[in-house]
Amino acid sequence: MDFTVYLMDTLVFMAIFAILSMSLNVEYGYTGLGNFGKVAFFLCGAYTYAIALLLGVPFYVSFVLSAVTSAILGGLMSLPALRLREDYLAIVTLAIGEVLRIFVKAEEWLTGGVWGITVPSVFANLGLSVDAVAFANVLLSWGVLIAVFLFLRYLTNTPYGRVLLSIREDDTAVQALGKNPILYKAQAFMIGSAIAGIAGALFAQYMRFIDPYMFLPMVTFTVWMMLILGGTANHYGAVVGALIVEIFNRGSRIAKDYLDLPFDPHNIQFILFGVLIILLLLYRPYGLFREKPLKTGVEAEVIKWQSSSSTK
Amino acid sequence: MAILVVDKITKRFGGFQVLQDVSLKVEEGSITGLVGPNGSGKSTLLSTVFGFYKPDGGDVYFKGDKITALPPHDVYKKGIAFAFQIPRLFFKLTVLDNLLMAARDHVGTTLDGTLFLRKKWKNQELELARRAFEILELLDLSKLVSHKAGELSGGQRKLLEIGKALMASPDMIFLDEPAAGINPVLSRKIYQNLIELKKKGMTFLVVEHKLEVLLEFADYVYMMDSGKILLSGKPKEVINDPLFYNVYVGEAKDVVSG
Repeated sequence: MDFTVYLMDTLVFMAIFAILSMSLNVEYGYTGLGNFGKVAFFLCGAYTYAIALLLGVPFYVSFVLSAVTSAILGGLMSLPALRLREDYLAIVTLAIGEVLRIFVKAEEWLTGGVWGITVPSVFANLGLSVDAVAFANVLLSWGVLIAVFLFLRYLTNTPYGRVLLSIREDDTAVQALGKNPILYKAQAFMIGSAIAGIAGALFAQYMRFIDPYMFLPMVTFTVWMMLILGGTANHYGAVVGALIVEIFNRGSRIAKDYLDLPFDPHNIQFILFGVLIILLLLYRPYGLFREKPLKTGVEAEVIKWQSSSSTK
Repeated sequence: MAILVVDKITKRFGGFQVLQDVSLKVEEGSITGLVGPNGSGKSTLLSTVFGFYKPDGGDVYFKGDKITALPPHDVYKKGIAFAFQIPRLFFKLTVLDNLLMAARDHVGTTLDGTLFLRKKWKNQELELARRAFEILELLDLSKLVSHKAGELSGGQRKLLEIGKALMASPDMIFLDEPAAGINPVLSRKIYQNLIELKKKGMTFLVVEHKLEVLLEFADYVYMMDSGKILLSGKPKEVINDPLFYNVYVGEAKDVVSG
């Protein structure tokens, strides 16, 4: 393949994983929920999109549907899971990720089982060249990425975002201040799941074929790596973390085609990631980007009051 | 009129009876003190009434409504605020954010309000920030308004915890040792503010170890020991009761004058 296709492929993967990383950031970075089943919602979104499209639903409706079903799945899952302590939540979510993948593998009538599903491409009937289709996918995925980024940046800089952060800090204290933490956790979980579902739909639409082996728990861990690398509770961190990991991930696949090495460079990346995470946790435990105080728009006013009261 | 009625509350932790048929009444617009040795069940009583623990028996009424075993966030909505003994702040959030979290009925704290009523919550946020700032000025914390709560000293954290309870503008506040760890001048100032708020009709239930504070500011005092109410009455009566000395003060009779 020529290099521009490789480049555009990398860009699409960057966007899809940046969206996933941001969705985990809402759950973990802001609300403190350790979701180790991220891949389940990614899978749910991808399969919903594929099945809906095959049933003749227009592609834009299918995108919305994949967000909705993932949000519903997240909501259902949060009912029992959110009453658990953090470590148990991690185990339950991890298990649900695997259960869903095995379900998809077994229910051949619905999901094609191990044979997977061929997904019709949105851009297939437009008579575009390979490069143009790849470019259209880049635009689509980065467009969605920007929309998700703006939405989350708004959401986390509101009184609502303040409640989420407070739950991460101390959910008993939040309860003592009249807010039901379970409700907010469930909402954060559903928002994160919906966004992961959209990422899944983008993935299915780009790959044009999905099977259960694309949704191994490794996907979840990759997303975690991105978020920890970039820095939690900072949307720039979530995106940049995803970009860096994808440069390694896709880059090593590309290197395999261009370099004649006695080993597979793609396997080296896992060693590199391990070293990177260790160094990061030692020297920069909060990640590349630091958490910033949230801004609801009253901060400038408050500084004004402060200076006028200190001059009294 | 009694705003809070606690009727024969019992609470066991395993086999350990922490509260045994505890009954008390708090008059509206009063400062009611709760004293007793460490481990006598004062904090457990507050936590049980507020809903952190489910009582094993008994009932709680607030403004005539039964609030027994309601979860804390619903008790809060009824009009009670709780200031913890050990401040429970959101350390990575600013001092201002900590106070704003305590505001009641802020439309921006709900998901639909945040998404669909932008203008409304923005206005409300500004009003609430103004009030939060006034509370911070009252507590001598206004210089630290944009600092993280984790950067505050122990005493300042305590003040902010009380500030959170004030921010809720509740009808009643539970204060668990508000003056502990705060310098005498400031703790007097806190109590003087409580008196001001009391005049406006606010009610306080205060766990307090400092007898001189109780004598000066409390209207009524309950004394607990081993999960039971042992004495109750005007502060002077309770503190001068021989039983009070035996259980609580020991032999150091000069505590009151000191």
